[in-house]
Amino acid sequence: MPEEPGKEIKVPKAVKSVIEELGGEKEEILAFSPTDMNEKGEYADGYAVLTEKAMYVLKSEPEKNAVHSFKGFLNRKDRDADKEREWKCTRFPAEEIKKISVEPQVACGLLVVEFSDGIEKTVAVFSNLYRKEAHVLSRTFSNTFEKKEEGEEGEKKGPKGPGGRGGHGGPGSGNEDDIYCPICGMMYPKADRKICPRCMDRKSVFIRTFGYFMPYKGLMIFMVLIYLAVAALNLVWPYLNGKVLYDYILKKNNAFLLSVGIKNGDFILALLLVILTMFAARLTLQLLTVLQGVFTARIVSSVVRDIKKDIFKAMGKLSISFFRNRQTGGLMTRVLRDADRVTGFFIDGFPYIFIHSFTLIATLVMMFSINRRMTLCAVILLPIAFVCMFFLRPRMWTAFGHRHRAERTLNSRVNDNLTGARVVKAFGQEAREEERFVSVNKRLKDSEMSIVGVSNFLYFTFNFTHSVASIVIWIMGVYLILVEHSMELGVLITFIGYADQLNGPMNFASRVFRWWSDSMNAAQRMFEIIDAIPEIREDEIPLPMNEPKGEIELKNVTFGYEINRPVLKDINLKIPAGSMLGIVGRSGAGKTTLVNLISRMYDPQEGSIYIDGVDIRHISFHDLRRNVAMVSQETYIFMGTVEENIAYANPNATKEEIIRAAKLASAHEFILRMPDGYNTMVGSSGRELSGGERQRISIARAILADPKILILDEATASVDTETERAIQAAINYLVKNRTTISIAHRLSTLKDADFLCVIDNGEITERGTHKELDELRGTYHKLMELQTKALALRE
Amino acid sequence: MEDKEFDLAEMEKETEEMLKINLLNEKNARFTRTEGGFLSLKTGDKDYPRVLAVRMFPFTDPDKYISIRTTGEHSKEIGIIEDMASLSGEVRGIIEEQLDLRYFTPVITGIYSIKDEYGYAYFDVMTDRGRCRFAIHMGGSDVVHLSETRIMITDIDENRFEIPDVLKLTPGERKKLDLFL
Repeated sequence: MPEEPGKEIKVPKAVKSVIEELGGEKEEILAFSPTDMNEKGEYADGYAVLTEKAMYVLKSEPEKNAVHSFKGFLNRKDRDADKEREWKCTRFPAEEIKKISVEPQVACGLLVVEFSDGIEKTVAVFSNLYRKEAHVLSRTFSNTFEKKEEGEEGEKKGPKGPGGRGGHGGPGSGNEDDIYCPICGMMYPKADRKICPRCMDRKSVFIRTFGYFMPYKGLMIFMVLIYLAVAALNLVWPYLNGKVLYDYILKKNNAFLLSVGIKNGDFILALLLVILTMFAARLTLQLLTVLQGVFTARIVSSVVRDIKKDIFKAMGKLSISFFRNRQTGGLMTRVLRDADRVTGFFIDGFPYIFIHSFTLIATLVMMFSINRRMTLCAVILLPIAFVCMFFLRPRMWTAFGHRHRAERTLNSRVNDNLTGARVVKAFGQEAREEERFVSVNKRLKDSEMSIVGVSNFLYFTFNFTHSVASIVIWIMGVYLILVEHSMELGVLITFIGYADQLNGPMNFASRVFRWWSDSMNAAQRMFEIIDAIPEIREDEIPLPMNEPKGEIELKNVTFGYEINRPVLKDINLKIPAGSMLGIVGRSGAGKTTLVNLISRMYDPQEGSIYIDGVDIRHISFHDLRRNVAMVSQETYIFMGTVEENIAYANPNATKEEIIRAAKLASAHEFILRMPDGYNTMVGSSGRELSGGERQRISIARAILADPKILILDEATASVDTETERAIQAAINYLVKNRTTISIAHRLSTLKDADFLCVIDNGEITERGTHKELDELRGTYHKLMELQTKALALRE
Repeated sequence: MEDKEFDLAEMEKETEEMLKINLLNEKNARFTRTEGGFLSLKTGDKDYPRVLAVRMFPFTDPDKYISIRTTGEHSKEIGIIEDMASLSGEVRGIIEEQLDLRYFTPVITGIYSIKDEYGYAYFDVMTDRGRCRFAIHMGGSDVVHLSETRIMITDIDENRFEIPDVLKLTPGERKKLDLFL
């Protein structure tokens, strides 16, 4: 998040006046955090304000019948600090405070003050809604007051140093306008993704989806023409079949024959002509249907392909954090199924809307012109069906959402199970897994059934309406012919033919909503991914890295995967170009996180990382990733040959280069032991490799990438000591002319490091050369002793 | 900095201590409330000015197996209270006060509306702490079934809400919740 130092912090007037009453009118406000709970666990508004002289805590009594709004609902009006109410304010002079810390609870947080006399006290409680602001306040305090006591360093940073001013986009911290939707005034669910889900309507989802069909508009127009032709032919059919056949030809109507140019009352010829016309009409109809099928297939498969490509591309752009909080199975559903579903409505529904409306209106007009009374009887029940449809709409929508969730769970379950097949087998839990699968599978079936249930009901309603109408028409027709003698048989047959034509639009109406819901439901999920803004973004005009030297510098870097749990705290580190840094520390200390930041998998929340003096946030992704290679503890082998896997980062590598890289990584020998050598298929569909083998292939991959900065994160953890020595030799060769960061538990791995640092709890606790650290007699020394003793025990 | 020479035996002792389950009761432990509203503990010859109480099974057994731990980054377990019911009312009250805030989770008693819009679901509900309106992500696993009828909902900021028994909701409310059942 960009720091905005120097931005004035806006504090509600009422809060300001309360502080002024306690004598704080001249104090500059450094940080400010709303709070929304009290110690009893009730929701009550409050504020914590940090000025250059003191901290003020304002509290109010919980309001009865108040609505507590969280993110997504929070409206700037909801939290009106200027509203008349009684504030209870306590002033804590800064000199009496030793430390202000945020203690995260399971679902809320405490603002805890440690006083100079050693007493700790909870001064304010807040829900997770305000944890960010509370953190800014706590950090501001430590940056402003704690460091001052240390003397010079404090002077340099001062109250306006990095993090000193919490210009983060939280409520109350200044840039309020950016985090609320301009239309409804609600806070965006995600501050960096300025899309308000409530104001984004489904129409635009529809229009955007429609965009995918635009490249095929030629074909689409052609399709519509075919549809229209089909509809027109369908209109002619009952006329030929009824009125012409029965009333003109079979009744030997001479006038009619003359009007079409047949003389001499040649009814046989006329009959033949009619039959021929009818046959031609049917044939054309069939041909058009075939043609339409071909075009549909072409358009649909192309559009599905385009959409899948877009989703996949969008996913590729997203940052690691996106994948961290989602189930793989769920994401797979999106790529594989949602794309198909999106097109459903556009092919089966959208074009037909016009055709069917056209048919419906034309048919009704025809019917109306034949007999008004009968037409009215035929359509009188229609509104009932449409009303049913209208009321079933939300249920349909829910049913599709349901199915998506069930499908996602099922996919995740299968994914989980297949990935963990080894564990399942090892503990003999196949039966239980099957049981668990059965239950989610049933859920999918049930949700599928409920969709079918709703759509069947609609189908039934429409059909029932239609059947009733048909019967009514027959009865009326017979009555009109036999009793009133006001109608002829042919006319009745034509009329019934038209009434049957209504069947199509009615059936369509009963299904179209299902397609619409399914399609829009999937499209909405699809755009959620396509619209997701990656947390790690490339600069608009990224800087290239020409002839990099490989100097790395971390300045005041603070980072946590969750905002209130920093994994790295204020790290300062400089790695000269071409040197090797060893990092040691217990597991969970933040070592891997540190290198993840250098390769920009994540951006630090505070501070910056520089390579050759350039902030990595400005360096182009391509250059950064080409120059920073990582061999991590989680190795991944892609589907493909060994050769392809080694050349993953450098597909243009020659065979010789690949072999050299494999040799350097001690992988050459084991590769040749496999029957297909470098052409052996590995990865999920191929030969299984051991942990050590995979690791050596990843090392070879990194060697071939030839980066300026090489990161080895426990790269030799799963190889035996002998192989490690061999790889070590390779690494020694490798580290020449590059900057290397090596993380290891085994200190022997780091014996060639130019200097080392020990990370503990996200802070660098010790740094220096081997000798210096050993003499420090700290953690490093302890680890050394422990490992030598352990080795001694073994021998 | 530790001046003490690195000692393997010392480490082994520490490890052994970590493996032991140390049960706390009112005979071997004295819990008091600190001036600042926290929990302190005196057990054996040790005095802890501030300790944390953590539930081991917060969903299934909230009143059993309470871990009493030291504070700070390297929080270590001091001992376990096997069953809160075995404690006297006063001590129980002090510990529960800590637990209540730590596991603060409003209980949803009624549902006004749930709207599903563009990847988020908007809840407007009544809880035992008053009316709450919050939004959750539809994509993740923000609605967790703790049992057939018990649901835990986590909002965008990881605030938690709980429905202990969906069957206690009215049929109309259940219908609104239908998407998540």
